[in-house]
Amino acid sequence: MKFSVPMPLRLVLLVLGTTAFYMYLGQIVPQKESHPPPPVLINAEMTTEDLVAVGAELASGKGQCLVGCHTVGQSGPLRYPDLDGIGGRAATQVDGLSELEYLAQSLYEPAAFIVPGFADGMQAINQPPINLSDDEIKAVIAWLQSLGGTPNVTLDTDLGY
Amino acid sequence: MLGLNLPVVIVLAAIGGVLAWRRANTLTWLLYTWVALWAFFKYGFAVPIPQSVATIYLGITGLALVCFASSSRERLSETVQPIVRLILEPRYRLALAGLLVALPALAAYNVYADLNVPLEAPGFGREVHPPPPTEMTVHDETVDMATAENPYLHYKHDDPELYGEHLENGRRVYYENCFWCHGDGMGGDGMFAHGLNPVPSNFNDVGTLPILQSSFVHWRIAKGAPGLPGAGTPWDSMMPAWEKFLTTEEMWDVNLFIYDFNGYEPRALGQH
Amino acid sequence: MTRNRILFGIGVLAFVSVIVTVRLGGFLVDNEYRQPDRQVAAQEELGEAELVPRQQGIADEQAADEAEARARPYEEAEYRTVPFVGSRVTVWVLAQLHLLFAAFVLAVPLFAFIIEFVGYVKKEERYNKLAYEFTKLLSVSFSMTATFGAFLTFALIILYPKFTNYLMHIFSPTFLPYVLLFFLEALFLYSYYYGWGKFGPKMHLFLGFMLNVVGTAIMFIANAWLTFMMSPGKRDDIDGDGVPDFVSAVSESGALLSLRDAFFNFTWMPINIHRIIANVAFGGSIAAAYAAFRYLQAKTDEERAHFDWMGYVGNFVAIIAFLPLPFAGYYLAAEIYAFSQTLGIQMMGGTFSWLFVLQAALIGNLFLGANYYLWLGMGRMEGGVHFQKFIKWLLIAIALCFAVWATPRYAISSVSEIAAMGGSSHPQLSYLGQMSAKNTAVNILILSTYMSFLLYRRTGRQSIHPYRQLLTRAQAIVFSSAAALVIFYGVYGYFVDSATRIRFAIPQVYSVLAALVVITVIDLPLYRNAAQSGETKWGRIPAVSQYALIFIALSFTWLMGLMGYVRSGLRQEWHVYGVILDTSPDAYTPSLGFATQVVSVTVLVFFGLIGVVFWLSSLSGKKDYAPGAAPEDGGRLEGGQAA
Repeated sequence: MKFSVPMPLRLVLLVLGTTAFYMYLGQIVPQKESHPPPPVLINAEMTTEDLVAVGAELASGKGQCLVGCHTVGQSGPLRYPDLDGIGGRAATQVDGLSELEYLAQSLYEPAAFIVPGFADGMQAINQPPINLSDDEIKAVIAWLQSLGGTPNVTLDTDLGY
Repeated sequence: MLGLNLPVVIVLAAIGGVLAWRRANTLTWLLYTWVALWAFFKYGFAVPIPQSVATIYLGITGLALVCFASSSRERLSETVQPIVRLILEPRYRLALAGLLVALPALAAYNVYADLNVPLEAPGFGREVHPPPPTEMTVHDETVDMATAENPYLHYKHDDPELYGEHLENGRRVYYENCFWCHGDGMGGDGMFAHGLNPVPSNFNDVGTLPILQSSFVHWRIAKGAPGLPGAGTPWDSMMPAWEKFLTTEEMWDVNLFIYDFNGYEPRALGQH
Repeated sequence: MTRNRILFGIGVLAFVSVIVTVRLGGFLVDNEYRQPDRQVAAQEELGEAELVPRQQGIADEQAADEAEARARPYEEAEYRTVPFVGSRVTVWVLAQLHLLFAAFVLAVPLFAFIIEFVGYVKKEERYNKLAYEFTKLLSVSFSMTATFGAFLTFALIILYPKFTNYLMHIFSPTFLPYVLLFFLEALFLYSYYYGWGKFGPKMHLFLGFMLNVVGTAIMFIANAWLTFMMSPGKRDDIDGDGVPDFVSAVSESGALLSLRDAFFNFTWMPINIHRIIANVAFGGSIAAAYAAFRYLQAKTDEERAHFDWMGYVGNFVAIIAFLPLPFAGYYLAAEIYAFSQTLGIQMMGGTFSWLFVLQAALIGNLFLGANYYLWLGMGRMEGGVHFQKFIKWLLIAIALCFAVWATPRYAISSVSEIAAMGGSSHPQLSYLGQMSAKNTAVNILILSTYMSFLLYRRTGRQSIHPYRQLLTRAQAIVFSSAAALVIFYGVYGYFVDSATRIRFAIPQVYSVLAALVVITVIDLPLYRNAAQSGETKWGRIPAVSQYALIFIALSFTWLMGLMGYVRSGLRQEWHVYGVILDTSPDAYTPSLGFATQVVSVTVLVFFGLIGVVFWLSSLSGKKDYAPGAAPEDGGRLEGGQAA
């Protein structure tokens, strides 16, 4: 008695089996839906402390700072500079630039100064696709200052851009 | 060495050597390769590799072995012949019977082992000691985190009696406020601890108090969970911000007490 | 009689589809808003006085409905929806199916032309026949491409009217040339196919050449549309620092500034190159799957020999195109990075990083499958055992590279595993999860596959070249130095900073490419007129090899589907990146698991349809129908006996 699966059936099984296998692989990796960032509202009465909170939200949302590029408090082989303590060292990074000027330049003209050991790669975040407004950038700066420094940006601060 | 678990590697290599010496057949080699790699991934590393990665590697190994076994007619028959003989020849009856029992048993054990895992919450990438700010304000007083020290620590040598008073005050504060979670013996095992995730800090641990400056501990006591930096990872903690309940002196006293109780010294300034 | 049964089946299918179309039309008309004036007229005949309260109520309702319908102003829809599956999935599946057929239709003429040309130069009739056989697959696929293209266009206009309108605003001047080229494509395709053997060889080759030119031009135009959505502007070094910058082709409000810049946009050329190469690889694998299908159906040794050879050639085309494909992909990815850091990070490190682990699994399978087929093919040669001992080492190299490539940067680990590792990455494995290791793995994979091919080429053959020893040694030196260089840069990458490390990929790629070229150049004279220890017995190959060919085709199709998802999904919530925001409910990026489900369904539909194409193509080789003739198809279902 010899049993043999007919060829068309084998083909169907092969097609279904292979596809199912790849689909299964797709199911066992981490699943993540990414939704468009919700609008973050900034109003005129916000204090520096409020701005830090908004900036933190922007950093991991619409501003995309922490989405795959920068890290906070990590070491090892990094893509881009770690932001931990940035508020403390911002004043001494570039000669002639104050803390605020340095942070503003890093956001508006990222290519102007590249931290040694890293590649140029950041985009001006006031341009599309990130497209933060000036007020939102102030919030991001407030958040950056809060990492190891003392935030002092308010919505009335003039960044010079 | 190299992060490997050497005895396991040596045993696996030795088995391979024996097989080479005995000129084992193709089927034996294939089985050996798979089992040896399985054992290597499971026990061969000093720090075990995650199950998910081991599964990927073993999947690739399995695929490669199937390819190898069937990559020519000769090799396929070399692989299949021993199996055919095992099934057909009467002298292997006992071995065959053993195999027929062993295979389902192995499968059953595998299912059991897969299901018999301790229940765990899903993991978060959480840092145990987050970076502190450079300075903070406690009760209208600015504390420079880099240089601040416990103001009463020096009494240990200068004025042991006063030191004892501060310790006694710290003990009172601890057992009025902290021991509910951090425990009688400061093992992070207080009566509320089992309900908390992450668990309260264990102050007995050699990797906690001795590697921290007392200013860091002061920061954690004063600001608690609400003062944790918000960026990066999700933070869960039940630690209250004690500055709202205790005076600055009380907080430094309890700081002094938990170090003294465990017999540790705070990390000195600039020490790495 | 099977043929009658099939014809009956087609008749039933046609009947059912007519009924379904009519019913569907009726359903749509029934659900349409209808002016109630007819009913109103009927009531007027009765006279108003005769209305009973119930009739009055109905009339009032109808009057209110009508007033409401008339008062409703015309609104331009931004989006329309499809029940159950949703607009995005509808467009996604249609676009993917269109693309798969289009890729096939573009690729087959490319290598059919080359094969025909080889036959013309070598004066061998069998190449000509083979090229014709490949071309047979075209005409049905061409109709499928057009059908899905039209379907896709309608779906876009219906479901995304505002966005489609915007694309028209940008690209309307390109549509007419596109249609004209499509017309020419049909002309050349059918004259190339039906004119086989009817023209002189040079004229026919010219037709084939024109078919390819037109086909490529069509693809280039369509590529401009979709690359514009990703990078709406050209590359130009405006600040003179040697790094290309981005110059937007549209104003901030989205108005067109320069059609030229929109057309020749930043990622246009990388996509063109990537797609041509991938199309050939895909087309070759599908053609090989067709040959495998026919091999498995075949009943005589002669047929088996023929289709074995056809499958071998198709697979050869696929593999040759596949070897440089990772480099083209790397170029595309590098250009996406150069265009927008955000997109680049999103792709490799952010939302889509797991997709590339999946891609590694697919490409690893493809390499493994391709090598496996070559090894099985060594059995065709008499006295081919000589190289069998190398297979083990090749397999180890391939499996190792596969494993390195599939090692995730951050493994999925449980809480206790993280605790044991002291972080989310393993102290040793984390080295394997990085770019340096992965680039090295891909390059070694390519070298190993090439080695398999070289061994296959040498099986059962003995070079008679006077300097054979010297040349073989030279090949060995080139090969091992390329491998050594690749590994050196891979290891050295861990000792330098990230900016330097990224640049190491380039010497790795060039050393591998150079090695491939140099070794091939040496190999051609080395094995010209080589002495054969025995005949090549086409058809003498285990049937499992044919299933391997179909597996390769499946993996390829699935891989294309997956890459389609990432190319399109990369834009996240943008229709046109940075310009037009998607505000529909489908704006979010679906999870990888969902995407793989859609890809799988698409692949199954495609294989169902390509099965029909295969079947239709195989009809032409069958005997003509004669009433009362013996059923020639009786043994069809037992085709599996070949195994």
